[in-house]
Amino acid sequence: MMQHFPVLAVMVLFLGAFLVEIFGSKSRLTRNIIALAAASLSFVFIAALVKPVMIDGQIISYWMGNWTPVEGYAIGIGYEIDQLNLFFALLVVLTFLLSGIYSIRYMEKDRHLGHYYTLYLMLSGGVLGLVLTGDMFNMFVMVEIMTFAAVALTAFRNNGRGALEAAFKYLVIGSIGSSMTLTGIALLYMQCHTLSMAQISAMLAKGLSPTGIMALALIFIGFGVKSFIVPFHAPAADAYAAAPTSISMIFSGMVNKAGVYGMIRIVYTVFQAMDLEPMSLLLVFLGTITMFIGVTMALAQHDFKRLLAFHSISQIGYVITAVGLGTALGITGGLFHAMNHTLFKGLLFLCAGAVLYRTGTTDLDKLGGLSKKMPKTAICFLVGAFSISGLPPFNGFASKWMVYQATYSKAVETGNFAYALVTVIAVVVSVMTLASFIKVTQAVFFGQLPESCENVTEVPLSMRIPMWIMSALCIFGGVCYGFVNKYLLAPATEAAINVSRYIDVMMGDGYAASYGVVDMTVAPAGFSYWDPLVWLVLFIVVLLAFCIVIVTGRNTRGEVLEAKPELVDPKYDTFFSGEESMHSHVGGSDLFWGFRTDWKGYFDFMQGMHSGIVNDYAIWAVTATGCAALFMFLFIH
Amino acid sequence: MIIVNYIASVLLIVLGLYTICFKKHLIKIVIGMGIIDYGINLLLVSIGFNDGGTAPIYSMSDLLNGVSATFFVDPVPQALTLTSIVIGACVDAMALALVIMIYRKYKSVNADDVRRLRG
Repeated sequence: MMQHFPVLAVMVLFLGAFLVEIFGSKSRLTRNIIALAAASLSFVFIAALVKPVMIDGQIISYWMGNWTPVEGYAIGIGYEIDQLNLFFALLVVLTFLLSGIYSIRYMEKDRHLGHYYTLYLMLSGGVLGLVLTGDMFNMFVMVEIMTFAAVALTAFRNNGRGALEAAFKYLVIGSIGSSMTLTGIALLYMQCHTLSMAQISAMLAKGLSPTGIMALALIFIGFGVKSFIVPFHAPAADAYAAAPTSISMIFSGMVNKAGVYGMIRIVYTVFQAMDLEPMSLLLVFLGTITMFIGVTMALAQHDFKRLLAFHSISQIGYVITAVGLGTALGITGGLFHAMNHTLFKGLLFLCAGAVLYRTGTTDLDKLGGLSKKMPKTAICFLVGAFSISGLPPFNGFASKWMVYQATYSKAVETGNFAYALVTVIAVVVSVMTLASFIKVTQAVFFGQLPESCENVTEVPLSMRIPMWIMSALCIFGGVCYGFVNKYLLAPATEAAINVSRYIDVMMGDGYAASYGVVDMTVAPAGFSYWDPLVWLVLFIVVLLAFCIVIVTGRNTRGEVLEAKPELVDPKYDTFFSGEESMHSHVGGSDLFWGFRTDWKGYFDFMQGMHSGIVNDYAIWAVTATGCAALFMFLFIH
Repeated sequence: MIIVNYIASVLLIVLGLYTICFKKHLIKIVIGMGIIDYGINLLLVSIGFNDGGTAPIYSMSDLLNGVSATFFVDPVPQALTLTSIVIGACVDAMALALVIMIYRKYKSVNADDVRRLRG
């Protein structure tokens, strides 16, 4: 009975999608009941797998139509649920269940809600299928279902600002990514004549041919596009901001996690490329630029949801960096941060949605003082903001601490100074995240209440429940990290490294050994979050980072700055004194205006790069693919 | 020669990517996405092709009598190609629908004009 649960969890969502379309387009009640029933059933099916898989350590395999392998050749489509899959599946089901509850009131004023719930269930089913499947082509089909539903949902409020163009850009860049994945899968099939991930993994164990390297590069980049790492991130910022907020939460909570899962599965299990140092360097490099560019772009934003979107990109950078280290602590930290990102970013998007629901705007310049009107939302937002900034005792602290420690210990282990630099960048990015959330908190919840927000009231209960659940989980993850580690992270890390077990469960015992699959050897993760010596090192690192900022920034003390003619916005004149602009309103969103001016060259360049022209984004994507393929051909043997 | 198929498919993919990168007309961009799909489909069918192979349809008596059931065209890539064609058609249809909506709203189909979200 147990082995049917994963496939039922996916089927029930797709079935629900069709039922909503048939019966739910007229009646509100029917629609809500079908959508929520499908989402909760799926949640129950996945949650029921926690005990056998996570605690007892079983791995569930399921062959569609009972087409089991014949003479060592996989001929059917297989689902395989090991601890790594299940970890991501749990994040997925939690996210779409909470988003479904939130949607009921949040979306009530929109029209055509039957289509909304159909697409919502299709998106959920696509992501869940992608996470659970053990077949390469099935994975591609699920990626396409996911992208398709996600694009349609981005354009759902098509009278909103930029929803259509965001959807179009997402579709173009996303379809470049899907095409890369499909080409890579075709090349893999050319070499292995099978689509089962377990069997491909066994066949590639003896080393990669040039075809294999090309396939690795293409599939890796394909999933990189889906997880919106840096050269592919531009459509993400548009799409997260333009989609309805309940969908933004799904995007940031599970759609880009699905991409991250794909990358982990590809590099760790299918290609077993992580014991190669260049692959590790590539992932860490991509992760580091992702977190840095994400957070600096976020600092310059004036729209609540767009700012959160850039933070989402930045936090994925942490995950990729940590996972790319290839050490047990790195994988554990990366998975923990992926989980925490789902929780706190979901929470923050829900708070942004609550503000949008009551005030009708997400422009930071038009908001302010909402903590008096919406105190419960404000508290939830603070929990989320503290978590993402990595303040103890919230969950972001525990996972970021593991990321710092993992990068630093990798630097000590390999003697490569670049990894220590990554630690410094990670800390600086965390500081900038905190700065940016101080700005948002000041601009939205504190400060002066604008007249347009006088009649704002607290959001309804059904929208607050998901926020409370998320907040509670954020605090729980930070306080009981040992518990989370024991039952979720440690088994998932073990599963990511233990490739031969993954192969044997699908293909029969001894299959991996017959192809000579060797598991990665990594030292077990040593957890010492509270080691005072490590704290001291961290403080030195932070001090160093601070000094770098001081040295690189211009020393403007004692100088007289004059308003330059290119600063056309008169509200900034107060920074330069002058009586004329006594009454100009400098909002909370201008809090880091000085910093932005100091780094004007960088910010202007970056904002110019995000030109909004779809061709530019496509050129980035193609160039990045070319570079990644070239890098792999040069350095991976 | 099958190598011609591979060269043609790579050329199609590169042509499609070029179209997406350098053509400003939104409909041309959608056509570029289509061309990439065609290139991949050609690659997929070529992978399974065996020159002179038979269709992979055998009766049980054929197999028992040892009729040459070894040299046939691989059916799996053909199934993949069909799936890929369907997906590609859906993506193109959706992209065109979005272009129509964009035209109604922005009164332009030039990528340089459709850039309200930037920075």
